[in-house]
Amino acid sequence: MAERRDWAGERGDFARLSEAEVRGESYVGERPLDGGVPGSACSYPYMLEEKQPEAPLFEGAYQARFEKIMSRYPERGGALLPVLNLAQEVRGWLSPESMDRVAELLELSPMYVRGVATFYTMYNKRPVGRHLIQVCTNVCCNICGADDVMAAFVEATGAEPGEISGDGLFTVIEAECLGACGFPTAVQINSRYYENVGAADVPSILDDLRARDARAVPGWKPDIPLHEVAKDPATARLPDAVEAGRGERRAPRDGGPK
Amino acid sequence: MAYPYRHERETLVIAKHFGDAEARPLAGYRERGGYQALEKALSMTPEEIVDVMKASGLRGRGGAGFPTGVKWSFMPKEKKGPHYLVVNADESEPGAFKDRELLRWTPHQLIEGCLIGAYAMRVEHVYVYSRGEFFEPAQIVGRAIAEAYEAGIVGERVLGSGPRIDMTQHLGAGAYICGEETGLMNSLEGRRGQPRIKPPFPAAVGVFGAPTTINNVETLCAVPHIIANGADWYRQWGTEKSPGTKLFNVSGHVKRRGNYELPLGFPLRDLIYDVCGGIEGDRSLKAVIPGGSSVPMLSADEIDIPMDYESVAAAGTMLGTASVIVMDETTDIVKATRRMVEFYAHESCGQCTPCREGTTWMAKIMRRIENGAGRPEDIQTLLDLGKNMTGTTICVLSDSTAAPVNSSIAKFREEYDAKLAMAAKTVGTPDSTAATSALAH
Repeated sequence: MAERRDWAGERGDFARLSEAEVRGESYVGERPLDGGVPGSACSYPYMLEEKQPEAPLFEGAYQARFEKIMSRYPERGGALLPVLNLAQEVRGWLSPESMDRVAELLELSPMYVRGVATFYTMYNKRPVGRHLIQVCTNVCCNICGADDVMAAFVEATGAEPGEISGDGLFTVIEAECLGACGFPTAVQINSRYYENVGAADVPSILDDLRARDARAVPGWKPDIPLHEVAKDPATARLPDAVEAGRGERRAPRDGGPK
Repeated sequence: MAYPYRHERETLVIAKHFGDAEARPLAGYRERGGYQALEKALSMTPEEIVDVMKASGLRGRGGAGFPTGVKWSFMPKEKKGPHYLVVNADESEPGAFKDRELLRWTPHQLIEGCLIGAYAMRVEHVYVYSRGEFFEPAQIVGRAIAEAYEAGIVGERVLGSGPRIDMTQHLGAGAYICGEETGLMNSLEGRRGQPRIKPPFPAAVGVFGAPTTINNVETLCAVPHIIANGADWYRQWGTEKSPGTKLFNVSGHVKRRGNYELPLGFPLRDLIYDVCGGIEGDRSLKAVIPGGSSVPMLSADEIDIPMDYESVAAAGTMLGTASVIVMDETTDIVKATRRMVEFYAHESCGQCTPCREGTTWMAKIMRRIENGAGRPEDIQTLLDLGKNMTGTTICVLSDSTAAPVNSSIAKFREEYDAKLAMAAKTVGTPDSTAATSALAH
């Protein structure tokens, strides 16, 4: 198997730096549940691996984060994107019901919120797998072989682009430029960037994700080290599949919008 | 220490701490002289700061190259309401990956630049608008903002004696057009990121209806150095009209891809063959895009130019973000161009008809040419489309789509002709216009 080199730091003149130093994990540390200082972003448009599509919105620690977001803008509208980010962070995707709830809280019309949410590609308008794999196939990665990487992910996961794989674990999509053009091919898996990914690296990346899943305690513990915000245990609910038994994942949903 | 590569011909000003994890935290940044420029700035009047910035000749690093000091001087001197400074950290131009490094290695350098700018423009709230995908850099900047609040650098009284300046990080959710400054303002207000017609300019009516200045991350990172050392010091590098240093982010088929801080006016040939170590596998060069995917490409025999705003413009293209995309002889120019056009078709906000329709049609035509189903008249159709898409829309996304198409046809016509000849041989091939990507997601 080819040696994996999937973060930027593994190239170049600086072998003495660790991955955590390059990624800044040691500096960031664990983020407080309530989002910390209001000026630092209290929400991110990414998903936790453990998705809770039925979880209540903006309760417990998320209530505090919602209020912090609301305090930072002179007009309610400014808070719309951060609040949608928060909703997606909790539930893994933006259901029509989530969008309507956000509209209600911000006193905006539901159609306005849908119109905005559908404009932005990072909002998932339908459920995605536990690991959302976004492969940059834009020009800089493309001329260095991104199409092969994309094909390798599609083949290895057995899921058509945009669909959830049969085991519920993976959704692979093509992404537009991820802003890591110097490290082709750039791949974003949930919130994390994988850089310098070649087609040969794909099976081992997926194996690593599966191995981490097997170690993860389902429910609320952060499953991406340091970077994920821990769920508030008081409000966390386990997904049905996890309730039913470890290892069994939700089957792809039927009847979802195509 | 280097990240990921260093070269002896570099001039390290803003990229000095790339690869130095200890320069990230507040304490480490202060040990390296951080926030001294802010202290100095607070002892000056706002007008004096703007004058220094004007004298330095620093030009906006987000692509347009507008002089920063002049931009700052457009902000009203008398305050009638709030003023805003918005940091454009939406870096999404294909080829550009410089701001991400600045955000993740030197977050406090950015905050210091923001505070100096905010003080000079009487701003009380700075928004750092970063693209949603930049999760790691945003975490780092968020931590730095928290540190700055805790240390009293940002907030009630800046550095204990200055005015009140707040900072808020704001993350977008995936839209290239939000890197355009008026699109970014709309996005920050919670709207679709559709650009606005100018005038009114942001300095008159910006975000939330208030006077606003939008600056790129790299621009603001240069500010503390200019304030600390003076305009003449900054002018020791670069050219008369393009002073200072610039991050050159090189991607594509070179041996040492990366960010290199070099004086403006640095020869493009040396950048590719010396600093970046030449072409991978020592193959020969085919084309270079000097400023991100939105600018016309250069052929291999056109690379003997200095990389400053004027010289690159004289060569018929633009310096843009100095994001150099290098393509070697193995590159399929039609495919590369098709991929760029598809990107713009996906990212068009849909406001202006020439762009919404033009980008989509260009993508369809490029796809069928690439797939061997092109028609002889397609080249002319592309050129006509490009003509109607240039200068006819609110923002320049439409022009940016036409640029790679026009320049690739002008310089690599034979590659198009070869695909069309292939198509002519296979009569009856159905148009391959089906979407090949999962961009519908």
